[in-house]
Parts: sequence; structure tokens; C-alpha cells
Amino acid sequence: MLLGSSTILALVVLTLGAACSLKDVRISLAASLVALAIVLATAVSTPQLFMYVLLIIAVGVLAVFSMNVRENQMSGIDYALVALIAVITVYIAYTSDIAFILASFVIASVPTYALVFVSTDGKPHVDVAIKYITFMVLATVLFIIGTLLLVFSNSANNSILYTLGFVMLILGLGMEVGCAPVHEWVPDVFSAADPLPLSVIASITKIVPFIAAYKILLLTALPQLNNLTVFVAFIAVISMFTGNIGALTAKETGRILAYSTVANMGYIIATLAVITTKNFLYLAFAGALLQLIVNAFGKLSFFASIKTNGSSRPLMYLLALSFIGLPPLMGFWSKFFILTSLVGAGLVWLAFLLIVNSAISIPYYLRIARNLTSNTIPGKVTAISLVASAAMLMTVLPPNWFINVAKIVIGGV
Amino acid sequence: MNWEIILLFAAPVICSLPIAFYWVKDPGSEKARKLPYLSVFGLFVSFVIAIHILLTYPNGTYTIPWLPEYNINFVFIFDYLSKYMGALTAFIAFMIGLYGLEYMKHDYRLGWYWFFFNMFTASMLLVVYSDNLLMLLIGWEGLGLASWGLIGHWFRDDDEISYVGIVGRKVGPLKMYWPPSYGGWRAISTIRTGDMPMFFAVAAIYALTGNLNISQIHWGALFAKIGFAGTLFLMLCFLMGPFTKSAQLPFSEWLMTAMTGPTTVSALLHSATMVAAGTYLFIRMSWYIHPWALHSVPGVGTLYLVVLLLGLFSALYGASVAIGCLERKVLLAASTMSSLGLMFGCAAASYWFGKLAVVIAFWYLMTHAFAKATLFLVAGHLIHATHDRFCCGDLNLAKKMKTAFIATIVATIALGGLPPLTAYWVKAGMDTVMHHIVEMVGSLPLDLLIVTSLLYSAFLAKFLSLNFWKGDKYHLHLHGEKLMPFAYACVVSMVFLLLYRIITGTDPLAETHLLEFGLEKDSFIVGLGVTATYLFALVVPRIRALSPVGTFLGDRMYLPALNDFIVPSIGWAISKLIEYTHRAIDWFCHFGLPDAMLAISKRIRAIQVGYMRVYMKIALAFVMAAIVVSMLGWL
Repeated sequence: MLLGSSTILALVVLTLGAACSLKDVRISLAASLVALAIVLATAVSTPQLFMYVLLIIAVGVLAVFSMNVRENQMSGIDYALVALIAVITVYIAYTSDIAFILASFVIASVPTYALVFVSTDGKPHVDVAIKYITFMVLATVLFIIGTLLLVFSNSANNSILYTLGFVMLILGLGMEVGCAPVHEWVPDVFSAADPLPLSVIASITKIVPFIAAYKILLLTALPQLNNLTVFVAFIAVISMFTGNIGALTAKETGRILAYSTVANMGYIIATLAVITTKNFLYLAFAGALLQLIVNAFGKLSFFASIKTNGSSRPLMYLLALSFIGLPPLMGFWSKFFILTSLVGAGLVWLAFLLIVNSAISIPYYLRIARNLTSNTIPGKVTAISLVASAAMLMTVLPPNWFINVAKIVIGGV
Repeated sequence: MNWEIILLFAAPVICSLPIAFYWVKDPGSEKARKLPYLSVFGLFVSFVIAIHILLTYPNGTYTIPWLPEYNINFVFIFDYLSKYMGALTAFIAFMIGLYGLEYMKHDYRLGWYWFFFNMFTASMLLVVYSDNLLMLLIGWEGLGLASWGLIGHWFRDDDEISYVGIVGRKVGPLKMYWPPSYGGWRAISTIRTGDMPMFFAVAAIYALTGNLNISQIHWGALFAKIGFAGTLFLMLCFLMGPFTKSAQLPFSEWLMTAMTGPTTVSALLHSATMVAAGTYLFIRMSWYIHPWALHSVPGVGTLYLVVLLLGLFSALYGASVAIGCLERKVLLAASTMSSLGLMFGCAAASYWFGKLAVVIAFWYLMTHAFAKATLFLVAGHLIHATHDRFCCGDLNLAKKMKTAFIATIVATIALGGLPPLTAYWVKAGMDTVMHHIVEMVGSLPLDLLIVTSLLYSAFLAKFLSLNFWKGDKYHLHLHGEKLMPFAYACVVSMVFLLLYRIITGTDPLAETHLLEFGLEKDSFIVGLGVTATYLFALVVPRIRALSPVGTFLGDRMYLPALNDFIVPSIGWAISKLIEYTHRAIDWFCHFGLPDAMLAISKRIRAIQVGYMRVYMKIALAFVMAAIVVSMLGWL
């Protein structure tokens, strides 16, 4: 209840801030930060989830500041939209109501439809935005219809509809986050749109769809879910290979990051194959969530750095190494959790392919780091990268606590 | 007791360290050339301790914990075999050490020489006294390493006197001469070939019994457990170590080219260490396996028959080669191989004859050790004096080198088996053993033994005759050596000590048996035959008419082809195969995989044409396909 009222309060603050931004952009910036602070303060009452909220709010703040790097057509409103996504990402951890989950899914996705248009040179990216929005709408429709079918077949115990619902949900999820073979929008958008909104689209918006999918599948589970996870594994394998191999020959940094996203979504969707193995479910979700956070911090910094033609060398390499999965960086632990859960669920072959893919990914992550290294004067982007790098170093001590956090995120409070 | 045992092995090594290090720092200096006395002192300490053990220690084992949780410990055994063998090893090593002080005086690599020489001795002592197979392997490997170091001691290959064979001579594709560096390599490569299966056999024994102490393992139960094929396989793998170390067929070549090392090394290698380690280990194993009590266990009989025949055929081969040899040391090397074969054969006959056969084999080992060390030391002195490694010399030389002459006469008679000296009684024992087993395995072993014995005394007489009576011309360069004659005089006198023990029947195990066997008619007839061939060869050391046969035998029946041609050819073939594999891997890593990745990557990116209709077609096609396929399951 406390969270419900604080969320409403935060939304009110965001709306007022956005409205006032017509007068002064800085008011909206301040309002966004205040809204995020309100959510963080409320989270103190649920200490089990505090670390999750802290990490999401951190990503949110970085995303807001990323939009602040350069002015665009809707400066002011964009802060509010980004902060709104962050607030919803926190909120979804607290709910286990299908309606609220679906609402969160939509709210986390729709603001990006506006953001993808913006540019800093006055000309909106209409072409790219249409591709993006078309795919997003299709994805949202598939996801929502899939969910409804699942909910209905769960109560009616209808196996055929359940299968149909599951396939549509997974396809919707895959299209939304950019899994192969429905990833066609990703390389185009990531290389043609403005890097600043992309730093939001590629990072924080990926989290809600996965949490939503996990929650919905757990809430509506039927016994034949066991037979359907192979579909998820199939998508995961295609996604990993498409992403990693595609990135090898891509030249533009944005394009490399696009394929890197496809690959990362493959790793994460692979964990859904563990959903029917009770003992390893939480570990799998912890891996997925941690990988999403790694992806969020990393992509935020990388895209922001593209905008400024580079950033500090050690920070870029640290983030790249985290993506590769070098211990003790956070990217190692997320992959480690995922691999352990896959092996525990008997999907050794999938774990093996994941390791092979991690190896394939090494050259292009190092290339990203090299491309994004420059001798520019430290500025906002360097600060963003610094915070992201610090987050990657959080896990020098094994993050066992994160498994408990993940357990509560998925179980609801 | 603890310290004494540790000192037994440590003293030689520790005492050789000063010269080993100092020589590196200041090679060839006056000061460095004094340090070998310290090394010999280390050998002396071992000798004193070994004698102390022989005289005062009670029989039994003594354990120092090593890995007690795995039941692996330093277990020293003091029994009939190890006490005698230890004293013998330490004595001969000390005597050769004394000899070496003079023999190696002007050498260019004394640090290397003394370190490996003393390590050689310490390793052998470790082999002799250890009951634990893992601990034995440490000594065993030390022997291999030290033999490599010592055989290849003159690594510069710059002095023809250290070669084996006539330099420049070729037979077909084979070079019939071997420099020291190659001799060292041939030794270590052959020995390693045998050691590998031996390691696995030791590991298998441990896995099967959980015990590595030779005297504690229930061999009968082990063999019964693993059956006929298992026993044969396990023990032949194990015996690959002894067979290669003791140069049995077809692993004999390394022993012949081991003559490229300094003569002191040959003397030690051929009497008390290295080659003796193989037979000693077989004797020790047989002692505790009790093969004579395992007639009901399948495989043991076959195993001992294999060893019996292998040993006796190696003995005949060695003796034949020695008959054709003209190089002093190579002749002696071939004779050593022959003797080792006899030891294996006699010890293997224990399966039918009982423990006494093992005792007789051991007595032959001891007799051979003293006599052969003497002959090698004399040969070394002769090589020094005449600067020639081929047999040469006449009565004039004999007069000038009286000690050497007398020592050679005693050693050849004592080793050849002429009555009434030492080897006669021991060989009489062997004759009796082989005669006894005629009923069980046929007369072949007895025939082989008699032919070998006849040849054996003949080439010993030939050695004596060609070096001190009827040999070629020579140049004499005596340097007034004192220590060298003293050393071989001491060593050769030991054959009389053995003779005394036999005649008086005071040995606890041989007792009066050897005396009885020697007094039998059959043994005496063999003795007479041996004497006849000895005298014949003494008078006619070379038969020119038969020189083609002699060349064939002296070329070791072209067995070098195995080491120098056949095995290298196989090795080349394997390395070719590996090279092509490497190339394939290189191609795969440099071209195959990257090109494939490039092509796939381009394919993946080719989808991104930028047209929305294409994207939607692909995405919707997949969505529809996925839905249809998932629904197919319900049809």
C-alpha cells in the first residue's frame, strides 16, 4: 500500500515536472530525480528488495543524465519518460497481479515510442522510429494476447490454448527485447537512431518484459510447460549465434552493440528454459536479472559514449570485460548463475553453447572498447561510465545476496 | 638408525655438491681439482654404513612415514639380498671412485662427472634397500638420469677414443660408429621406453592391492585375482623396466654404446649399478612372489617361462657378439649382457626349482660384479696406457703392467667358470638347475646355458690373450699410476672371499649346496669343456679365416638397425603425422574457422536491407511458422 501511494506521488511529481519543463527544462530534471528519490525512500520499508530498487534507480538516474548530455526536441519531457520507465521497473517487482503486470509491460514500452524519434540536430528520426514502433506494437499485441490465452487456458485447463499462448508470449517477448529470428529492427534502429535515446531503449527497457514474462509464466503454469521450454532454448541458441557471429563483422559501434544486444537477450531468454526446475528457478532468474542489469549499465555507457565520440579508456575496457564475463566483474556472476542453473536443469548442451558464444564474443567487445576510447575531457558521459563501472565492481565479493533478492522480485511482496 | 640410513644415501650426493658448483664457477683450477677427494669421501661414508648394515642390522623392514594416509612410506628392507647387494654396491663404487681420482684427473668436466657418479651410486643404493616400489622408482629414475649424464659425459664428441665402432664405417644405411652424445641419448631413450609401462604397472599394483611394499603384497592373491592374461600383461609391463635396464633382447643396443662414457662409468654401470638393478629387482620380486608355490595360479608359469627363454637367448646373443668383438670395452659390454641373461634365466627357473635358483642367480650376480668391475678397470687402464680402445698388447706389456695382467687372469678364470675358482661353483649350480628343469620345459635351457658357458670362457680368454699375449702392436704411455692398480687389485680379491664362503659352506642360504653341485660329475664335465675352450681361445685368439663371421657377430648381428633405423623411421612417420595434424589445425584456426565465421556473419547481416516490408515478412513468417509448428503437436 505504501508503495502504491508513493508510486502515485512519484507519477504526479513527474507529470508536474514535465508540464513545467515548457517553462524551464531544469525543473523537469529535478522533478525526475525527486520522483526516483521518493521511490527509493519508500523501498526502505522492504529491505529484502532494497538492493534491487537501488540498482534500478541507479540505472534510471544514469538514463536521465544520459538524456541530459545533449538537448533535443522534447527535452524535459524525456526526463520524465525515462524516470517513468524506472519507476515502473521498480513497481513490477512488487506486484503479482496479471493486470498490473501487463500494464507495467505497456508503460515501460510506450515512452520509448516517443523517445526513438528525438534527435539533437533538429531532424526527427521518423524512418527508424516507424520500424521500431511497428515491431513494438506487434510485440506488445503478441505478448498481451499470449498472456490472456495463458490466463484463460490456465483456468479452463486447455492444453492447446496454453501452448498457443506460450508461443505467442515468447514471440512477443523476443520481438520486444530483440531476440533472433525476430530481431530485424535492432541493427537498423541501433545504428540509425540517436545514441542518447538508444542508451535508454537498449538498457532499462529490457528489464520489465523479462520480469513480466517470468511472473506470468509462473502464475499460469500448467504441467505441459515442461515440454514447451525446448522452444525457448531454440530461440536462445539462434539468438546467441546470430548476435555474436553477426557482431564479428559489423563495423559501426552502434551496429556491434545491436548484435551484442541480440546475443545478450539470447543468454537471458535461455534461463526461461529452467522455469520448470524448482531447485534452480531462482538461480536462473537471478542470473537473468543480473545479466539485464549488466546489460543496462554497459549499454547506457556505451551509447552515451558514442554520442561524445568516446570516453575514458579504462572504463570502456572494464565494461567490455564485464560483458565478456571476466571474474570478478558483475558480468561473470550473471553468466555463472545462468550456466549453473542450466547445468542444474540438465541443459548441459545449452550451457556449453553459451560458453562457446562467450568465447566468440571476446573480439568484438574488445573492438567496442577500442572504438570508444578517446582523449576527450571528462564530462557527463565519463561520469555515467564511472558509475556503471563501479557497479560492475560491486561483485568483487560473490553476490550470493542477489539470489535472495531475485527470489523476492519474482515472488512478489 | 634413522640418521645412518639417511646418510647412506645423502652422503655421496652432498659430498659431490661442492665440486659440482665450484667447477661451474672456476672450471679446471687447481683448487677445483682437489674437490673430488671429498666426493670419494662421500662414497666411503656410504661404504662404511653399508658394511655396518651387513654386519649388525637385524633382518626386517624399517619405515619412515611419507604418505601414511595412502599407505605409501619410505620402507627400507634389510634382508639377505639387500645387505649383500648394498655392501657390494658401496664397496665397488668406493673402489671405482678411488680409481677415478687418477683416471679422470685431467678431465674437462669434473663437476658434472662427480655429481652424476655419486648420484648414480646413491640411486642404486636406494633401489637396493627399498621395499616400497614408489621409493624404488625414485632411485630407478636417478639411475636413468645419471647414466645419461655419464654416458654422454664427453659431450663434445671431439675425441675418437671415446667413440664406439670404427669412425666413418657404414653398413648400408647404418653408421656403425657412435659418439658419446648419441650413446647417452640411446641409453636414456631405451630406458624410458621400458620405464613407461613399468610406471603404469606400479600404479596398477597399487590400485589393485593398496600396497606398494614388495615384501608385503600378497602376490599370489593378486595374480589369482587378475587371471592369466592380467598377470602376464601386468608383469610383462612391469618387467619392461628391468628388461631395458638390464639390456635384454631387443633392448641391448644402448648397453653397447654406453661404452662411449668414461671407463669408470662402464665399470660401475656393468657391475653393481644400472644393469644390475634390473636383475636385482627381478631377483627381489621373485624372492617375495614365491613363484614355486604358485603353480596353481594361472599365468605365473608362462611368465617365468618367457623370462627364462628371453634371458637365455639374450645370454647366447651377448656371448656370440662378444666372440666377434675387437673393442676392449664393447667386448666386455656384450659379455655383461650375456651374464645378465644368465641371471634372469636362472632366477626364472626358480618357478620349477625353488628358491635356491634365486640364490644361485644372486651369487652369480655378485661374482660377476667383482670380476666384471675388475676387467673394466683393467681395460680402462689399458686404454690409458696404449691410447687405443681396440685390443692390443703382448707379453712385454704384461710384464710392464703386472698387476693388470694378474688381475685379468684371475678375473677371467673366476668369471669364466673354470674349476676350481668362484664362478665354477656358481655355474655348477646353474647347470644343476637347468638339468633339473629338463623334465618340465625340455632340454633347450640346458643347451643354451652350456653353449653360452663355452663361448663365455672363450671370449674371456680372447680378451686376456689379445691384450697381454698375442695382440697387435701398440704404443705404451705409462704414467706411473698407483691408485688404479690398487683399486682393481682390491676388487678382484673379493672373488676369493666369495670362493671362501662357498668352499666352507658358511653362507646361510647357499650353505653347502654349491659345493655339492660342483662336485657332481655332469658339472665337472661342463667345467672341463669350459676349460678347453678357454685354453683354445688363449692360444688362438683370432681365426682369420672366420673373420666374415666375426664381423657379423662384432656388428652385433645388425641389431643397431632397430635403434638407428627402424625405430627412428617410425618416429619420423609419427612426427610427419603430427606435422600434418598441426597444419590442419593451423589451417582450421587461421582460415577455416575465420572464413566460415566471416561468411556466416555476412549472411546474418545481409538480412538488414533496410526495408520494412522485408523485415515484417521475416518476422511474421517466423511467428506464423512457430504457431503452426506448435499446433502440429496436437493434430
